[in-house]
Parts: sequence; C-alpha cells; structure tokens
Amino acid sequence: MSNFWNKLLYHEGRGWWDLPRTQWQDPNPQMEGPFGHGIAPIKRTWEIITAANYHHGTPWFYVLIGAILSIITIVEVWAFTWETLGGLLIPLMLVLSLAKFILVVGFFMHLKFDRKYYAWIFTACMIIGIGIFVALLLLLEYGNQTQQ
Amino acid sequence: MQTTHPGPSREPISLSFPRIIPRPKSEYGIWSWISTVDHKRIGTLYAVTSFFWFLVGGIEALLMRVQLSQADSTLIDPEMFNQLFTMHGTTMVFLVVMPLSAAFFNWLIPLQIGARDVAFPRLNALSFWIFLFGSLFLNFSWLIGDAPNGGWFGYAPNSHVAFNPTNGMNFWVIGLNILGVASIAAGLNFIVTILNMRAPGMSLTKMPVFTWMTFVTSVLIVLALPVLTVALIQLQVDRLYGTHFYNTAAGGDPVLWQHVFWLFGHPEVYILILPAMGIVSEILPVFSRKPLFGYSFLVFAGVAIGFMGWFVWSHHMFTVGLGPAANSAFAISTMAIAIPTGIKIFNWIGTMWGGSIRFSTAMLFAISFIAMFTIGGLSGVMHASVPSDAQQQDTYFVVAHFHYVLFGGAIMAIFGGIYFWWPKTTGYMLSEKLGIINWLIMLIGFNLQFAPQHWLGLDGMPRRIFTYAENMGWENTNMIASAGGFLMAFSVLLFMINVVYSARKRVPAGDDPWDGRTLEWSISSPPPHYNFEKIPNVEHRDDFWFTKHPELIAEYYHDEHSGELTAPSGAQFDDDVAEEEDEHSEEHHGDDEHGHGGIHLPDMSYYPIILAAGLTIVGAGLMTAVPVIVIGTIVLLWGLLGWSFEPVNDPVPDSH
Amino acid sequence: MAAATGTYEIKNEHGEVINTSTGLSNKKLLMWSFLGSDVMFFGSFIATYLVYRNRSLVGPYPADILDIPITSVSTFVLLMSSLAMVLALSYIQQGRQKMGTFWIFSVVVLGAIFLLFQVYEFNHFGQVGLTPRTNLFGTTFFILTGLHGAHVTLGVLWLIFLGFGSIKGSLRADNAIDLEIAGLYWHFVDIVWIVIFTVIYLISARDVGPPG
Ligand code: HEM
Ligand SMILES: [Cu+2]
Repeated sequence: MSNFWNKLLYHEGRGWWDLPRTQWQDPNPQMEGPFGHGIAPIKRTWEIITAANYHHGTPWFYVLIGAILSIITIVEVWAFTWETLGGLLIPLMLVLSLAKFILVVGFFMHLKFDRKYYAWIFTACMIIGIGIFVALLLLLEYGNQTQQ
Repeated sequence: MQTTHPGPSREPISLSFPRIIPRPKSEYGIWSWISTVDHKRIGTLYAVTSFFWFLVGGIEALLMRVQLSQADSTLIDPEMFNQLFTMHGTTMVFLVVMPLSAAFFNWLIPLQIGARDVAFPRLNALSFWIFLFGSLFLNFSWLIGDAPNGGWFGYAPNSHVAFNPTNGMNFWVIGLNILGVASIAAGLNFIVTILNMRAPGMSLTKMPVFTWMTFVTSVLIVLALPVLTVALIQLQVDRLYGTHFYNTAAGGDPVLWQHVFWLFGHPEVYILILPAMGIVSEILPVFSRKPLFGYSFLVFAGVAIGFMGWFVWSHHMFTVGLGPAANSAFAISTMAIAIPTGIKIFNWIGTMWGGSIRFSTAMLFAISFIAMFTIGGLSGVMHASVPSDAQQQDTYFVVAHFHYVLFGGAIMAIFGGIYFWWPKTTGYMLSEKLGIINWLIMLIGFNLQFAPQHWLGLDGMPRRIFTYAENMGWENTNMIASAGGFLMAFSVLLFMINVVYSARKRVPAGDDPWDGRTLEWSISSPPPHYNFEKIPNVEHRDDFWFTKHPELIAEYYHDEHSGELTAPSGAQFDDDVAEEEDEHSEEHHGDDEHGHGGIHLPDMSYYPIILAAGLTIVGAGLMTAVPVIVIGTIVLLWGLLGWSFEPVNDPVPDSH
Repeated sequence: MAAATGTYEIKNEHGEVINTSTGLSNKKLLMWSFLGSDVMFFGSFIATYLVYRNRSLVGPYPADILDIPITSVSTFVLLMSSLAMVLALSYIQQGRQKMGTFWIFSVVVLGAIFLLFQVYEFNHFGQVGLTPRTNLFGTTFFILTGLHGAHVTLGVLWLIFLGFGSIKGSLRADNAIDLEIAGLYWHFVDIVWIVIFTVIYLISARDVGPPG
C-alpha cells in the first residue's frame, strides 16, 4: 500500500507536483505520476521557457512575468474603483500585492532558480519583520480601543 | 582577481580615478594604521578606542556617584545630572560594550574559522572609521556644553523640541545614526565572513561557540539597528524640520516611540550579552581541560535567545497600560526567554564539573561572569512578573538588574577575554598576580556598588533623580555604593598598570600558553600578517586540541569511527544541506596557495576613512548648514568613487 | 569593478564561486543580508504609517489628495524598470554586451521617470496644502515615500556607473555578479514600492478624517 502512495506522490524522492527544477546540472526527471506521460509536453515547454541551459529564465520568460505583473496592477486599480467591494477591498489588495511580491522576488530576483540559502535568509528576515510589526499594530490598535 | 581562473576571462580593463595621495604601502607608521585593512589591526583600533570611551563613561559614572553619595548634595545641578546619566548609558552601550565586542570579532573570527581576513576587508575598515567619527561626534556635544539629556532611550516627547530645545538631543540622534551605519556594515561583514570563509571541514556544527555567538549577534545587529535608525530618523526630522511623528499636539503617539525603541532595545541587550557568552564559552573549557559540555545545546540556546529576543520588548512598558492581555503575553514570553539562558548557565557549570580547573585570571573572570549574570537574570525574571514590575519600574532595582547583566555579565566576560587572548594578540603575557588582584577588587567593588541598589530600589528610590532628601534613609546605602564605584575604578586602574607593567617585562607567551582548543592557538603569537601559512583542515570540533591530544578523540567522540555518517532518511530532499556538508574539500581554497608567495591579501586603502569622514560631515551638516552637507557629500562621493575604481590589489609588476 | 567591494572570488568554468565554504558568492550573500536589514527599515516606516492612519487631526486627508491614476502609471513604470533590469542582467550574463548596455540604460531612464513623477507629486501636494508639517498623514507619507525615492536615486546612480562600465567593457559576463547585486537592490526597491502603493494608495486612498 505504501508503495502505491510512493508511486503516486513521489518519483525518486521528489513529488511529481514539485515545479521542474531549472538548474542545468539536474538530470531531466522522467515523468510519471497520476497524469502519466501526458504532462511531459507541457513540462518540456515550461522548461524551454524557464531553464534553457541557464541558471535563470529566458528573456521571454521574464517578459511573461512582467506582463503578469502589469495585469495584476491593472486589476488592482480596476478593483479599487469598484465601489461594491466594501470590506473586501483590503484583503483583496493584500492578496494581489502579495502575488506581485512573490513574482518579483521569485523570478526577477531569481530566488526560485538560485541556491536555497538566499531564500532562507530573506524569508527569515521577512518572518521576523512581519511578526513584530503585526504584533506592534495589534498592540497599538488594542491600546487605542481601551483608551476610548 | 589576480588569481588565475579558468573561465572565459580577459584582462580586466581598468578604469581609473585620479589619486590625490598615493596608495600607502609601508607597514609602519601612522599611514599604515589609517589605511589598514588588516582585521587584526582594525581589531586593535576598536579595542583602544572603545577602552578610551570606557574610561570616559566611567568618569561620568563616578561624577554621578559622588553626587549621590550624600543627601541633598548640590555638587552637580539637575541638568548636568541628566546629561551625565544619558551620556553614561549611551557611551557604555554604543561606544563600549558593542565596539569592544567588535574588537573581539575582528581579532578572533578570522583566526577561529581559519581565514586570512574577513570577507570584505575595506568595508571592515569603513565600519571602524565610521564608529570612531560617530563617537567623536556624539561626545563633541560635551565641548559645547550641551550634551544629550533625554536618557539612553530618549523617550519622546521628552526628547522633542518642545520640551528639549537645545542641541543636545540632536547630537544624540545624529550621532547614534552614524554609529548605526557602522554597526550594520560590520554585522553584514561578519555574517558573510562566518558563512563563507570557514576553513575546509569546518561545518557549522564544528564552529567554536564564540564564532556562533558572533554570528547570532551579527544577525541581530543587522535586523535590530535599522529599527533604531528609523526611530532616530523620525525624531530627527521632527526636531529639525518640524514634522509630527512624536508631536503630541498634532496627534503623535508617545507610546509609539517606546514601542519602536524597545523593538530595537531588547534585541540590543542580547547584542551586548551574546558575545560575552561566547567569550566565556571559550575560556571555560580551556581552563577546565575538557570539552564544552553540551555544545549543541549552547548553540541552540543562543539561536533561540536571538529569535525569542524579538518578542519580549513590551516588558519595558508594563506600566504604560497596554492592557492585561498584552501584558500577560509579554510576561510569559519574557519568562520563557529565561529558559535558554538557564540552559546556558547549566552548560557552563557542566563544563567545569569534573574538570581539573586552573584558576587563572581569565577563568576567575569567567566564573564570576556566571555568578553575576545569574543574579542579574534572576532579578530580570522578577520584573518579568507584571505586578512586581509595577513596584520596580524606574527604581534602582532595575538599575541593579541591568548592571548585573551588563557589568557583571558583559564587562566581566570581556575582561576575562582580554586576559585570555592578550598573549595571542601581543605575544607576551599579562601579569597573573596583578590580574588576580584586579579581578578580586573589581568583583568586590562591583558588588558593593550594585547589590545595595536592589534594596534602594525596593525601598522606592527612583532612578535618574539627581538628589534625594535626608530623611529617606538612603544615605548609608548610597555611600556604600559610591565607595564600591571607586573600588571598581581602582580595579580598572590596576588593569592599566598591568598592561604597562607587562609591556615592560615582556614575558614571552609562546604560541599556545593555555593549552588552547581553537585554531587561533595553532599559529604564532602575535599572528603573522597572513594568519595561516597553510589554511588548516578541520576534522573535529576543537580541532587543534585534539591534534595535540589524539588519544582523547575516542573518549569524546564515541561514534567517531563507527562507520560512515548516516544521513537521516529524507535528507536527500535537502540538497543545500547535503551540498554544504560534502563540498568542503581542500580544492576550495585555491590550489595556488601552497606557499607563502601565493597568499593574496588586499592592499591598504585610505578610501574608507575618507568615506567615513564624508558621512560624518553630512551628519554635522544636518545640524548646522546646507553648505556643510554639500561639502560632506563631495567628500563622501570622493571616497565612494575612489573606492569603486580602486583594485583590491594594485597590479604587481610581473616578477615570478 | 570587481574592486568595488574588495572581496576575492574565484570561479570555475560554470561561473560558480568555488573558494567559499558555502559555494555562495560573498557579494550576493552580503546583498541579501542587507536586503533583510532593509526589510526592517521599511517595515518600521510602513508600520508607523499604519499606526498613524486615520489619526490626523487636520486635513488634507488622503481622500482629498491622492491621485490613483497618476500613481498607477508611475507604479507601472517602476515595474517595467524591474523587467528591464532582469533583461539587462540576462544579456550581460550571456555576453551580449550591446543589448545589456541598452537595457541597463533603460532601467536608468525608467527609474528617472519614476522619480520625476514623484517630484511632480510632491510639488503638487505642496501646492494643494499638504507638506510634511501639515498633519500626521503628511509627515508619514512624505518621509516614507521620500526615503523610498532616495533609495531609487541611489539605485539610478549605481546603474549609471555600471552602465558606463558596460560600455567601457569593465562589466561583462565574468563579473556580471556586480550587475546582479545592483539588480537585487533594484528589485527590492521595486517590491517596497509594491507594498507602499498598496498600503498608502490603494488601501487608504478613501480615508477621511479620524472617526471621532
Ligand atoms: C533572564 C533574562 C532577562 C530578563 C527576564 C530580563 C527582564 C527585564 C525586564 C522585565 C526589564 C524591565 C524592567 C523595568 O524597566 O521595569 C529589564 C530591563 C533591562 N534589562 Fe533585562 N532581562 C534579562 C536579561 C538581560 C540581559 C542579558 C541584559 C543585557 C545584557 C539586560 C539588560 C537590561 C537593561 C539595560 C534594562 C533596562 C533598560 C532601561 O530601562 O534603561 N537584561 N530586563
Ligand atoms: Cu528587555
């Protein structure tokens, strides 16, 4: 039974759902998993866009990311004018800008392609930063309410 | 970039920037110090400068002690007293303990990890010069009779123009910002150095504890100092340009200042103490003649302290009225942080347990560090409890607490470190006889001065009052404390006498006077310019000690030769870790470095000092006039451009 | 240009640094750690802005003054400069010097346009009556966006420097790392703007005076 799950979820110790790794030294893992070989062409296309024998993406890939970023920005501004959104505005904006943030950090700053060390450093700093500043905001909000 | 690299390389095209002064080459004379990029010399500069400020801060403290030794004393007026305690605190934190620790970082980190220098030698020089100029800038305020007077935490709006119109706090704000730049640059440099410059084989878990604590400290510096910078910038634009961050009349919130300051402030106290903990962790095993007990616990506790230290800051604000929920949360987190601290104390005791201890001066300092720090930690846990803190806040009890951790902790450990590493840095010994007297008097004086302050605090004596009435019953206790203060001053004097005396006598130390454990003891004392002729290969923790005592390897590493290191299953996912472990092979350190001739050390450079001067002039300009800012910017750009175009090494006329 | 930070890095034929314990480049590690530090810097200012949101005692309030369409355009410009930056790096790494130089200077131009927008905005606000001394909104707004602008200015100067290096040939494939760290800095400044745009403009552009 456990073998079945292994087959389903992993291939040589790596989940099939893991995004293709783009470093050129990596052997090209054979595709198995629930979609069988059906996913291979998609995967190859993706690899052509992203990896292309470099540590980084190809220019076209970056243009694609740039386009996505612009679209998100347009959606943001458009959603802003949408009066009916009400209380949903703030969470929506946060999610959208988080998406932009991740795209820039992951692809433009190469964290997705690069050694994981850098990602750890940056994530650790972000965690501490977000942690203390959210705590600070909560504290001051709370203090404000008790005063009134 | 002189080294041959196989890749597609062409000769570098050199862009040049006209030099006004030729690049210094000589190893002697004043220029060699001004333009040095050698981590050992920079360490010495840090040590000398901050020891000087230690004396200045000490004199400020003694003046306050004289004033407080009697009731209703009129020797010092209230304004002067405010300036004294503000500058005493600021000096001791930012100009003494931090840079003295930096002196140890500079001297020891490259030696302990088996490197020839730090990762960015010129950046390192820059840190020092900015620190020097910043400290001079801050203390310049004394000369114009207008020293900062808002306390070392500069609470707004008391530090705001409306209540504090003179220039003093401007000096404080700008001076600390300049110093912050120096600290951040140094912190970044040491993060990279420790991660990247380790000798082959020295994985993270084989690093000496001092190196580990330096790493944690550097991370804290890099993350905490920007928060202070922000608070200071806000106060600065308020004071100089009339903005409203902390202007209560326009809705500014004084509590925000307290939050932002202590967000920085609590990590800061760990910045002060973690290096000291590292020093003690090096001294204890050497003089107990056995390895450190529970290395991984010590390291883990240090990292845990570094992380948890971020989430306790509001314990400085229990009496502000944050509400019961917030207060309880921070009381709990504060008490929780005492756990890793306690782990460390048990580890140090465990290290001494069963060892054959030599009571050298360094060891005595280290042991008294443990004792004094424990007392300070205990009073810390006492005011972690909200109701009792309501009694203790702003009394001498808190003063006693932080002096037990800072003097009894940090300074004691630093003195221990000085006695311990002096022979390595100079090549001769400090007198042990004078040293032990020095230690004894310092310990007695310290306890005479600060133990009674616990009672004074519980008896209700507020901190930061310039005098008190006769009928309060505080006179005798204060008198004892002042006497203790002078004893401490005497012990520092003894230390200086010891330095002079030993420099005269010059008892040669040899390479390894204490039977040391870490790599710095494997090279000559004082170390040569290039530190290691051949970069060592590290196999064990405490590698040097085990090279000297191979018969002990089996005793301490039972599983050492029981086969291959087995990675836990699943480790293959974690390619970075795996790579890091097995990529340490000799080839990493360049094959052309066998002989002396292949050693590349960066040439000297005077651009760091120019850049630092420019930065400080800009700072001064912010307080005075725009033309000064312009001049400062020009100097700064000169330094920056010169630096950018300057090759690390001038091309050598080809001789080999 | 390798001189700029004065650190020794030896590379193998794949352009990987081989003389450091982690195999990571010293400069890149320095830059990432610095960015971590800058997270705290901007984080504190943004937190301050949020704390003081809706607490100004007098106007003008954000709703009276913020202009979303114009700022959207300048946001877009900065985003595109990030794209140009990543392209510049990609070409320099491939050794296509001309393309690299072109894109570096595109970043410079786009960055400068962004700064012009900011100058215009500051001026305009001044005319309408919002200065750093007007109220808490003015204080927090100007200092936060002003310091971001200072970061952008620094980045522009740095890239001009590198652009000339690329023309002269001192910046090229084997020391593209110098451009890469400048790029990291530039992208970081961009993501800070993404956050600022969201927090100051999109989220609080309808804020009026304090509720009480
Ligand atoms: C066991 C660990 C510790 C605990 C639980 C602790 C707890 C506290 C608390 C609750 C306060 C606030 C007291 C008040 O103002 O009412 C305080 C103040 C202080 N602590 Fe600690 N502390 C600990 C360790 C340290 C260490 C290691 C240092 C520095 C090396 C330190 C330095 C300070 C300083 C400087 C202050 C006073 C700040 C001021 O008001 O000027 N503490 N501590
Ligand atoms: Cu604290």
